[in-house]
Amino acid sequence: MNERVKLQEADRVEAKTPEDLRRADEDLRLPAIAPREQYPIDVRAPEAREQTNAVGQRATRPDNRLQGLGQLKYIADFSFPGMLFARIKRAGIAAARIVRIDTSAAEAMPGVMAVLTGSEIPVNSFGPSYQDQPVLAQDRVFHAGDGVAAVAAVTEQIAEEAVERIVVEYEPLPAVFDPIEAMRDDAVRVHEDGSNIYTSKTIRKGDIEKGFADSYRIFEETFRTQMVEHVPLEPHAAIADWDANGRVTIWSTLGRITLGRADIARTLKMPMSRIRIAGTIVGGNFGGKNEITQEPVLALLSKKTGRPVKGTYSREEEFLATTTRHPFIMDYKTGVTKEGRILARKIRLVLDGGAYCSWSETTLGKACILSSGPYKVENLLVEAFAVYTNKTMTGAMRGFGAPQVCFAYESQMDDIARALDIDPLEIRLRNAFDEGAISPTGQVLHSVVVKESLAKAAERFGWEARTP
Amino acid sequence: MKRRGRGIGCMWYPIGFTVAANPSAATVKVNEDGTATLLTGTVETGQGALTVLAQIAAQALGIATDDVHVVSADTDATPMDTGAIASRTTYVTGNAVRLAAENARTILFEAAADLLRVKPGQLEAKDRKIQVKGYPQRCVDIADIAGHAQTKLGQPPIGTASWNPPTVAMDPETGQGQPFSTYVYATQIAEVDVDDETGEVEIVRIVAAHDCGTAINPMLVEGQVEGGIAMGIGYALQEEILFDDKGRQVNPNLTNYIMPTSLDVPDIDVSIVSNTDPTGPFGAKGVGEPTSVPTAAAILNAIHDAVGVRVHSLPATAEKVLAAIKAKRAAEQRQIAG
Repeated sequence: MNERVKLQEADRVEAKTPEDLRRADEDLRLPAIAPREQYPIDVRAPEAREQTNAVGQRATRPDNRLQGLGQLKYIADFSFPGMLFARIKRAGIAAARIVRIDTSAAEAMPGVMAVLTGSEIPVNSFGPSYQDQPVLAQDRVFHAGDGVAAVAAVTEQIAEEAVERIVVEYEPLPAVFDPIEAMRDDAVRVHEDGSNIYTSKTIRKGDIEKGFADSYRIFEETFRTQMVEHVPLEPHAAIADWDANGRVTIWSTLGRITLGRADIARTLKMPMSRIRIAGTIVGGNFGGKNEITQEPVLALLSKKTGRPVKGTYSREEEFLATTTRHPFIMDYKTGVTKEGRILARKIRLVLDGGAYCSWSETTLGKACILSSGPYKVENLLVEAFAVYTNKTMTGAMRGFGAPQVCFAYESQMDDIARALDIDPLEIRLRNAFDEGAISPTGQVLHSVVVKESLAKAAERFGWEARTP
Repeated sequence: MKRRGRGIGCMWYPIGFTVAANPSAATVKVNEDGTATLLTGTVETGQGALTVLAQIAAQALGIATDDVHVVSADTDATPMDTGAIASRTTYVTGNAVRLAAENARTILFEAAADLLRVKPGQLEAKDRKIQVKGYPQRCVDIADIAGHAQTKLGQPPIGTASWNPPTVAMDPETGQGQPFSTYVYATQIAEVDVDDETGEVEIVRIVAAHDCGTAINPMLVEGQVEGGIAMGIGYALQEEILFDDKGRQVNPNLTNYIMPTSLDVPDIDVSIVSNTDPTGPFGAKGVGEPTSVPTAAAILNAIHDAVGVRVHSLPATAEKVLAAIKAKRAAEQRQIAG
């Protein structure tokens, strides 16, 4: 080892090329993969995996060892002969007409094998509810993270540089960023062909007017939540390989491969039987990988070049160009008895959907249904809207609208408890669903354990009643 | 001065898609040596879903988790699955796996009935054997019976099934309907210290009690809860994508988009609330998303309890909390002066 370090030091003095410099600290790095002699190969399965009464066992995952030893293969570990690297150019402007895209300088660069723009995509739109999202922006840009062109090159660095050399001429358009403003009739339209309110939902139960009239006190508050990212450890990544038979294989971090294949087939306008999607082990999803992203782009770049093409989003692209969690504006009006029982509730939800619908419809639906909490509310009105703005699109994220409304209904629950001098645990127990309770949508609920969960948590916490 | 507070977050959450069909299919093949291979179209996203599915198949076949090899996520080879979304894998895919394994088991029972001279209905699969109910000594190894079914009867024990949660569409005017097949329930309680001079919030501990029906794998449930809470802490106190006045993000990087690290995650006490749902595989429902739902609510209520200010918007950054404390003091001053 010492010899080698010395030798390296000698090399370092003479290091001339960037490659020499890049390798200069090699001895200091930890091995990416544990050396074979450091681990036994024929280990017995842990006892929990050997029990024939399998349900209820604390069974470990079979890939744990591979993970620990660095042997589990993520997209980053996949490489094929001749594989190219793709990068996507991002618009950087929130609303604009694309006047011209000049890719000639990028195409002229040594090492650049193909360039792709939106006009080359057979069906340039996708989305789980409405197909309102272009794979690559073609005539118009709807938010700053839109992709406008893609490059495949022999190295990631060349692809990155080539993207910089693509010149896009924009004609800026008026934009709208505030969802309340976007709801107005005279607001700038994010998508030309319709209102910014692209989906709305209502839940109506009982008689809220009577409920409020009978109330001892009425509480009104507005709550807001922010836009957040899923931030998975592993970014969106995929490799597409279009073979000589015209069949394309796509290895991807996608979380729903069978439906993803249908979406990809639609954008590529080709039979599903000629598309294979292989989902790899994914380094975190949290809802952010429920939609196709760059897969059609990689497939078409592979088709153009006849080579496998890998695309890995940068951390910046994870923020700019993938779905995020909806910011909510939530108006809660709640009428209660003197004992803190909820008699009536009126809720208005506005979801900032960003530039595309994505999973907003589902998010809106779940948020509505869940918005009055796990509590018996006889008289309820929920009105909810999802609104386009020229911002990063929102979509599926762990909780589909539930963390937002939970923040609102639980905050208000404590405010009611404080105002009425009731312990926060007690007020929840007084309102919580029982087995057989009727949900806001009129559904009879089964296997209900709200009170049990409250009691269990209170017991583990050591909750002692005191007026708040 | 640091002030301590406590707050409750209680929630309910549905399992699966809202009304829309979200089926899963699965195939279970019992091999000639009594092990099994499970084919599923879902994707392992780090939550341990494939292990849970292996446990469900193993339970239905009376074999061990380690006897089941799972092949997943290949549209050329694995059956349709709606995917790792909507906290649905254990419940929906799990039901498909259970039914597929039972279909394979039916073939094993038919083959064994022949050898043991009983009716298939009198048999059960247990401890890697097919045995007569109530007479466990009258049994054959699954390995032998799988081979027998294949080579003697010409019927390899392979089962395929699909499952979709039953729902009723919602009325567009009133929202009345049965949008989901089942729901889970949970409570989290947070204890925090709030520095009333800086507005900084430190989470002391979080207690979580989650319902997931039968916990197919309690360790993986605990892992999900801990991970969900970590995510909820970021949502409550730190994370926010910010935009400039031209609609461009100003902090699309991990330097300026602040997330919790291991140092921000407090002691988490996880309990699984005893429950079982007859519509789920072996009584199981799900746990993925709900773990992250009540955390922010519990923390914000704890802040309220500690310093008496209601923060109406997330995240409750130190700046926001301090501003609320100052506003409260100013209001109190005015009241005294007035």
